[in-house]
Amino acid sequence: MNSDDWLRALTAELHQRRVAADAARHVVAEAATHLREGGGNPWVVFGPPQDYANAIVESIGTAPGPRPGPVRLHARGITKRYGRQTVLRDATLTVRAGQIAAVVGANGCGKSTFLRICAGLISPDSGEVTVSGQLGYCPQSGGTADFLLPDEHFVLVGAGQGVARGPARRAGRAAARQLGWEAGGAVQARHLSGGTRQKLNLTMSALSNPDVLLLDEPYQGFDQGTYVNFWDQLRALRDAGTAIVVVTHLLNQLDRVDTVLDLTPAQQSGWRTPGVQGGHP
Amino acid sequence: MNRLVTVAEMTLRELLRRRGVLLLLLLMPLTFYLIRRDAYLGQSVRSLLLGVGWAVSTAALFATTAARELEPRLRLAGYRPHHLYLGRMLGLWTVGLVISVPFFLLPMLDGADLRYGGLAAALLCSVGVAAPFGMLIGALLPRELEGTLLLLTVVTVQMLINPAGSGAKLTPFWSSREIATWSVDHTDGGYLARGVLHGIAVTALLALGVASVATVRLRRRRHLRHLPVG
Repeated sequence: MNSDDWLRALTAELHQRRVAADAARHVVAEAATHLREGGGNPWVVFGPPQDYANAIVESIGTAPGPRPGPVRLHARGITKRYGRQTVLRDATLTVRAGQIAAVVGANGCGKSTFLRICAGLISPDSGEVTVSGQLGYCPQSGGTADFLLPDEHFVLVGAGQGVARGPARRAGRAAARQLGWEAGGAVQARHLSGGTRQKLNLTMSALSNPDVLLLDEPYQGFDQGTYVNFWDQLRALRDAGTAIVVVTHLLNQLDRVDTVLDLTPAQQSGWRTPGVQGGHP
Repeated sequence: MNRLVTVAEMTLRELLRRRGVLLLLLLMPLTFYLIRRDAYLGQSVRSLLLGVGWAVSTAALFATTAARELEPRLRLAGYRPHHLYLGRMLGLWTVGLVISVPFFLLPMLDGADLRYGGLAAALLCSVGVAAPFGMLIGALLPRELEGTLLLLTVVTVQMLINPAGSGAKLTPFWSSREIATWSVDHTDGGYLARGVLHGIAVTALLALGVASVATVRLRRRRHLRHLPVG
């Protein structure tokens, strides 16, 4: 990791810890000046970006986080069976405007099923979901058209909302740029790499400015830089008031979310109590 | 209306970019025509019409299967079910009409003595029936292989069944066969009237079938309650 990468990582860490934007810029600029003038390896001079960010937070504190808004998604008592197998039992989740919720659990525990039920794509055996406002959904894979260009995907999604072609294209390209992808090229979706195709998928889901955004492990195939951009973008959406639900199995990301729903069945009692509230206060 | 046209346009774009598929779409009716060319002209024209129907049905089947995962998210993006299935049908009809043009001209260039108005009507019926027929199979059978096999079975039955028998009227492309008879054999107008009526009725029934399946599959689920943003 060179100095630039280190500074970028520090910026992300400060942002994640809700250090006020001006103060974070000032800290990063000072560190950059120090490295430029004094030279040396930032890992030796300042230590790991996480530790340095922690030290900064201890020193200058954090900006108060935006107060969570009204409830945007309320899923209550969701139970789903496939044949004799109960995939979900009494799962409950509440997400407010300006919150990120993570749905975690082992493979096959019903994370994607839960999200599809929240999106209204499949019906549960019991339970109900209440959504306030527009819903956006990004599937784990698929959900794009092989022979269409990215711009045509944006036009297609935009038309659903009554958005004209030009603005839809511009909005799509701008959203893609946030993930480090220039989407204006004439490349059909089938020729995109797995990661870029997921960026297209993710961009499509956020294009209609949804109030509730449901993401089913959307980062598959992302490289490290894109992965960081992805979480930055999620935080930006959260700060703008979007309620976000992310299915994830990457536990190290849980400290970046506000609520956790763990769907892992308990070893002895059958099921762990759902709707564990944890992570980010 | 804009949503409908956008879905139709994207269907058209997708199909036009599948050059291999387009080539096969053209090759299939041509082969059907040529393989019967040395015999009675009526058989050749009827085979041509069946080839067009089969080709468009197959394209419709594959387009429907390919859109299966995309449609639910388009529904969430603001489309109603009828925008999606009618738009796709519109796009497929357009493709069908475009590929019909060379097959309208083919017998003409071949010097066949036909009622060409009848040939046009028969091609219209073939394309009209084929798009919703392929879409319905694609909607009912999610896997392409099963869909293709069913399509093959239906077309084979259509090809082998006695056209004078009452069972023939239950086959989807009977209309174009009747109109082709009027066109090639210069029979009485009853053939044309029966054919046109059958074509319209079957197209309407199949479109209704597609609408029903799509409306059920893309319905708003009862467990999900939408509230306006407070």
